[in-house]
Amino acid sequence: MTREASVAMPSPRGFISRGTRQTLANYAYLLPAAVCLGGTVLFPILKSIHMSLYQNVLSRPQEYRFIGLGNYLRMIQDPTFWLTLKNSFIWVVCSVSIQFVLGFLGALLLNGKFKGRAFCRTLNLLPWIIPGVVVGLMWEYLYQPNYGPINDILRQVGLLRVPIAWLSDPNLAMASVIFTNIWRGIPFFTIMILAGLQAIPDKVYEAATVDGASVTQRFWHVTLPLLRPIIIVATATRIIWTFNYADLIFVMTNGGPANATQITSSYTLLSAYTDLDFGYAATLSVVLLIIMLTFTAFYLKVTKGVESVSE
Amino acid sequence: MSNHRSGDFFERILGGPVLWTGLAIMTIFALGPFLWAFSASLKTRAELYATPITYIPALPTFQNYVEAWTSRLTPFSRFFANSLWVSSVTMVATIVISTSAGYALARFRFVGKNTLMLVFLATQMFPAVLLIAPLLSQWYALGLIDTYQALIYSNFSFTVPFTVWMLVGYFESIPRALEESAMIDGSSRFGALLRIIVPLAAPGIAATAIFAFVSSWSELLFATTFTSSTEMRTLSAGLLYMAGQYEVQWGQLSAGVMISTVPVAILFTFLQKHLIKGLTAGAMKG
Repeated sequence: MTREASVAMPSPRGFISRGTRQTLANYAYLLPAAVCLGGTVLFPILKSIHMSLYQNVLSRPQEYRFIGLGNYLRMIQDPTFWLTLKNSFIWVVCSVSIQFVLGFLGALLLNGKFKGRAFCRTLNLLPWIIPGVVVGLMWEYLYQPNYGPINDILRQVGLLRVPIAWLSDPNLAMASVIFTNIWRGIPFFTIMILAGLQAIPDKVYEAATVDGASVTQRFWHVTLPLLRPIIIVATATRIIWTFNYADLIFVMTNGGPANATQITSSYTLLSAYTDLDFGYAATLSVVLLIIMLTFTAFYLKVTKGVESVSE
Repeated sequence: MSNHRSGDFFERILGGPVLWTGLAIMTIFALGPFLWAFSASLKTRAELYATPITYIPALPTFQNYVEAWTSRLTPFSRFFANSLWVSSVTMVATIVISTSAGYALARFRFVGKNTLMLVFLATQMFPAVLLIAPLLSQWYALGLIDTYQALIYSNFSFTVPFTVWMLVGYFESIPRALEESAMIDGSSRFGALLRIIVPLAAPGIAATAIFAFVSSWSELLFATTFTSSTEMRTLSAGLLYMAGQYEVQWGQLSAGVMISTVPVAILFTFLQKHLIKGLTAGAMKG
């Protein structure tokens, strides 16, 4: 603390030593943030754990009672829960892998030197910054069987005779919401990887060129290894975020038809909003939290050697 | 060296036609849905439901905007004002809270400081879904359902961790000597923070402020869950409410989509450069 001690501080009188007073003053700066996060994150999470131990259906208040791990047992026996886990897996793997590949291509394109690059970059970021509900509703309209342009375009190029109900066909609904999610998420990878590309000094490429490396060789042996840290950070962040992201499904299909697009996070919402089963919703969110923390711990372990996470 | 020459040829192709075609396809794909929504928002009711569908409005009209803005069932003027208020208050409060915390974390040594930084990083990834049920019962118990406070406080759960994380980085890049000399000249530490550090970190603070604004503006789940009356809905919640009506009015809905999009799109263009810096340093929801 000595290093922090203020020269202008008057010498302290009373019981509390100068060092302690200084420490307390320092903690005071953190107090508002601590109160905020305590009240809106920490306490609610503890409350979720507490709620998950109770039978708590809002429409049947007389049945409110402590049931221990009852909700958790119910979850293990709930086939829908397992279906949502499987759906979450498909949702995350398909969305993130395709976002990554297309985002990477986008970054390579935007890394080229051409007039109007900044403007072009801004345009391509738009899908990512607009509200999720806007994305969902816009695409609902695009997918609309009779008045939507997607069916119309497919019909005009001769690929389609009968209109397709993209979001209400159980076989197509998941692919359709994933497609929308890909559209929304590409810019995230584009800007992350673009930032990584621009951090690579031109000299590195020049040296490789002098050594006779072709453009593909330079990509595999120079660009890719140098981008490794940012790729890991971006992908891990995206996986966690996609796993938890319920807005799009909530807006577009609400998990339907027949749970075809129900992922675990949207199922949590359904339990709370439609079934009014807060005990079960809390149980599902505790499980989401455990999955997420496990993944985050794993991610931090992996990135530790790659990039310093703090300081 | 033949490899080198073929590389050159490949490069010229990559730099020319391939680059331009790729950019064109990518940009059309990114913008297509917006263009469709914009076109639909200018169509008359008859044209919206006509077959074959049209891509450019035959008789462009602002009728949908006027109707959405003044509608009694889904008053977008009110939603807009609500979004503006909630996002602005969240932004200002977040900045005050995070500047103080970010400064402390950048300058003071604390027991468990690294753990605290990890907590901030992990909290950024907490999904709203996780907090819905407990926050609902919490706001209900406090009598805050259907108030702006419930939305603003809930928004802190995602704005504060990210902005603190960003600001720690900005403050660390400012030399300690600057405020130390101010303190020797008789300024208190808090005074030095306000007069020396905040102005120097202004670009970073502005960027994080816009981030807080934009992410609050986009927030959906808290806004739908913690409000029940039409007058309290934000744009996101209002749009969802409108889409849930018996008959979806695609024209008005598209107008609503444009109304919700334009402000964030404009703000984001200012924020871009700074946000990318922050993104690559940490992680965020978005």
